[in-house]
Amino acid sequence: MSSEKLNPISENKDFLVHSSSLKDVRSFSRDVFAKLNISEDLKDELVLAIAEAAQNIVKHAYKNEETQDKMEIRISLKGNDLEIGFFDKGRPVEKNNVRHRKIDDIKPGGLGTFFIQQIMDAVVFKEGSKPWINHLVLTKKL
Amino acid sequence: MAYKVTEDGNLATVFLDGEIDMDKTEEAKELIFPHIEAGKEIHINLKNVEYMDSSGISVLIESHQKAIEAGTKVTLKEISKSVLKVIMMAKLEQILNLD
Repeated sequence: MSSEKLNPISENKDFLVHSSSLKDVRSFSRDVFAKLNISEDLKDELVLAIAEAAQNIVKHAYKNEETQDKMEIRISLKGNDLEIGFFDKGRPVEKNNVRHRKIDDIKPGGLGTFFIQQIMDAVVFKEGSKPWINHLVLTKKL
Repeated sequence: MAYKVTEDGNLATVFLDGEIDMDKTEEAKELIFPHIEAGKEIHINLKNVEYMDSSGISVLIESHQKAIEAGTKVTLKEISKSVLKVIMMAKLEQILNLD
């Protein structure tokens, strides 16, 4: 955890729900974290967590289907509390079906959620308020 | 941009580069898997990979498993710092062949 006072942040952006948007998601996240005086390693980890969560929306909430829907990502920092919100209009997330792979289970798949849980302090799935269906909240004390 | 492949006898070296996410994995698989299925030893050079997410790591896992099934071997070469970090986060450094 950083002992330095970090400037507050509140930024958001919409992205088309498509795998080709993931590059833009990373670019947006990097631009936001560039304003923070935190280590480059931590910035890279946070960008990975955000990109994995966005990827999960494309893969699971929309099952890779073509859509014109947008997802919204909101990044806010108050004090040392980082909160990243993801909003989408895809299939409702069944919380019981969200699981990461076991440590000793060498399978492709489930890794994204595993990474998110390793990087962030908390991962909470909420029901989105209209027009959103899903609202994922990732938090971390910086 | 297409990834580069070099072949030397029974060894094929695939040079991945840039950012490997789910938008790039099919291209990587289409390049790597036929060589494995042909029974070739594969080197995957990761020197110029700046970013890899879980989709990219899944390609490495699948390649490793396919190689075992085909009786051959995949070795990861010149792994960039950012990729090594993700491999270690996935706790795969003892599973995949790193060089």
